Amino acid sequence: MEMTIESGKDTLMSYIMKNCLWQFNSRGWDRQTQNENIIGKATQILCKETTVRKTLADRCYWAEAQQLVNDWECFPWLKKMNTSDIKTMMCKLKETLDYQLITNSLNEELKNPNY
Amino acid sequence: MPYHEFECSQCIPERIKHAVDKTKNDLTEALPLGYLNTIPGTLSERGCAYCGAKHVIGTPMKDVIHLSHGPIGCTYDTWQTKRYISDNDNFQIKYTFASDMKEKNIVFGAEKVLKNNILEAFKAFPKIKRMTIYQTCASALIGDDIGAIANEIMEEMPDVDIFVCNSPGFAGPSQSGGHHKINLAWVNDKVGQVEPKITSDYVINYVGEYNIQGDQQVMQDYFKRMGIQILSTFTGNGSYDDLRAMHRAHLNVLECARSAEYICDELRKRYGIPRMDIDGFGFKPLSSSLRKIGLFFGIEDRANAIIEEETKRWKPELDWYAARLKGKKICLWPGGSKLWHWAHVIHEEMGLEVVSVYTKFGHQGDMEKGISRCEAGALAIDDPNELESLEAMYKLKPDLIVTGKRPGEVAKKIRVPYINAHAYHNGPYKGFEGWVRFARDIYNAVYSPIHKLSLVDISKDKIVTDKSFVTRQMLSDSQLDESILNSKELHEYTGEFDSLKRLRGRKYPQYPMKGKLAAI
Repeated sequence: MEMTIESGKDTLMSYIMKNCLWQFNSRGWDRQTQNENIIGKATQILCKETTVRKTLADRCYWAEAQQLVNDWECFPWLKKMNTSDIKTMMCKLKETLDYQLITNSLNEELKNPNY
Repeated sequence: MPYHEFECSQCIPERIKHAVDKTKNDLTEALPLGYLNTIPGTLSERGCAYCGAKHVIGTPMKDVIHLSHGPIGCTYDTWQTKRYISDNDNFQIKYTFASDMKEKNIVFGAEKVLKNNILEAFKAFPKIKRMTIYQTCASALIGDDIGAIANEIMEEMPDVDIFVCNSPGFAGPSQSGGHHKINLAWVNDKVGQVEPKITSDYVINYVGEYNIQGDQQVMQDYFKRMGIQILSTFTGNGSYDDLRAMHRAHLNVLECARSAEYICDELRKRYGIPRMDIDGFGFKPLSSSLRKIGLFFGIEDRANAIIEEETKRWKPELDWYAARLKGKKICLWPGGSKLWHWAHVIHEEMGLEVVSVYTKFGHQGDMEKGISRCEAGALAIDDPNELESLEAMYKLKPDLIVTGKRPGEVAKKIRVPYINAHAYHNGPYKGFEGWVRFARDIYNAVYSPIHKLSLVDISKDKIVTDKSFVTRQMLSDSQLDESILNSKELHEYTGEFDSLKRLRGRKYPQYPMKGKLAAI
């Protein structure tokens, strides 16, 4: 089956929602940071770009991203995708994560200013 | 996704937004409410905020006198209900302490009583120099200043240290309020007071792990084999002074985010220690978790070696049970975090169909995780009352309920087998071997011949007399394919009764320190 950017994004989204935990931190701003950093680093890894790992926080985002990309070995179509399409797809993936889990989430605790 | 209306709760209209039928993966359509005060008129199965602070989080600390300042009944949870064991002969569950407040103390105050109790307890156990004191509803309402008494004692006895937790039963909608309070109290009052001896380049706090029947010891074994130093465990099998040194770790590895994310988040904010959420249950999620911890430290090869060895040893046994459990219906009704730890992997690795997930004290975030992980068709319920649980069981007809002791007994009354999700039946359930033990317990429950026998009503049903005896395997294997029945590879659990035995006294590899992460 031909994998489009949209269907690829949906597949990866389903994978994350079923198998990962990092996207579910309890506050909206925290989810924003997690999505941005982990999806950002996963995009860099997929596009074979250099990732920054200077701080412990960077290392943690990178470890989550690298494990995600390793798990995505089960999607052979991903290896055939060019860099431009990967970037577009990952950008849409982050938008969908933000939409589902932050901007349109029904979780009333996301806006709590304290932990 | 539509909200689910229970017939029995039509008279409590507020309940409608606490249950959802999962139809697809879209959390923006419906999400059960959570972490709200129990609605008057609904009989909740929750615990209180004192229980959440003391019995869930505080008491698993092993080298501590845990004292409740309140009526003796508040200390109910000990030997027979809690199974957070420890490697110091289970001191923390063998002995339980209360100031035994009575009516006259409510009238005249109980601070003197408390002080005498503290002195008496330290005298009775002179080797124990650490204590936690828990406020209860009674001592909170009369305004006893527990902190002042603790400070007096610490001045008089400089070799002791006391932690005070002000989380009375009414301080939140459920035990979850107590989790929050004790997390913040510990990080505010105790973290940063002890400087630990660092023995590895790779140092973690293992957080949100309560050593139920040895879970912590199983995970500790993997970490030690990887050369990782566990600075502290919050709190199962954890040591009081180790937990005062949490600020020196490189990484917080978090299991139960429901009960312990607060301390991880504060440690991240105050000390820059990142938080990594993991799953310790199930072969694939556990492997993934060990690998990402390995990646963080640059030692993923060590994680891979453990995964390969453990999978080779235990997978054929898991698959024996999975072949026999395929298609069986299960309700995952634990307290908070296990609904999402188990919702996907119990389906993928044991073949069980999760027909319902519920949480007693979870927040909406737990429901987001649980609903995302279970399959379409499942019923998700927040804080169900007993009648709703019964209605769900009659409607869904599960083969098994995985839940706590109280709702478990309700399930048994209508002949539905149950497994204890909180204290376990024959755990530990974490780790590769633990997951097989869980599968064995599920198998034993689902196929127990007693459940068929108990359904027979001797006043009206026909009693079969030509078949006098059945075993679990006669029931489970009757429909199985020949290739599975004759498989030489698959077999039943072959581990020992006490699966921790082989871990005790194990020699671990010594990796010389290179100061790798110190440069970051």
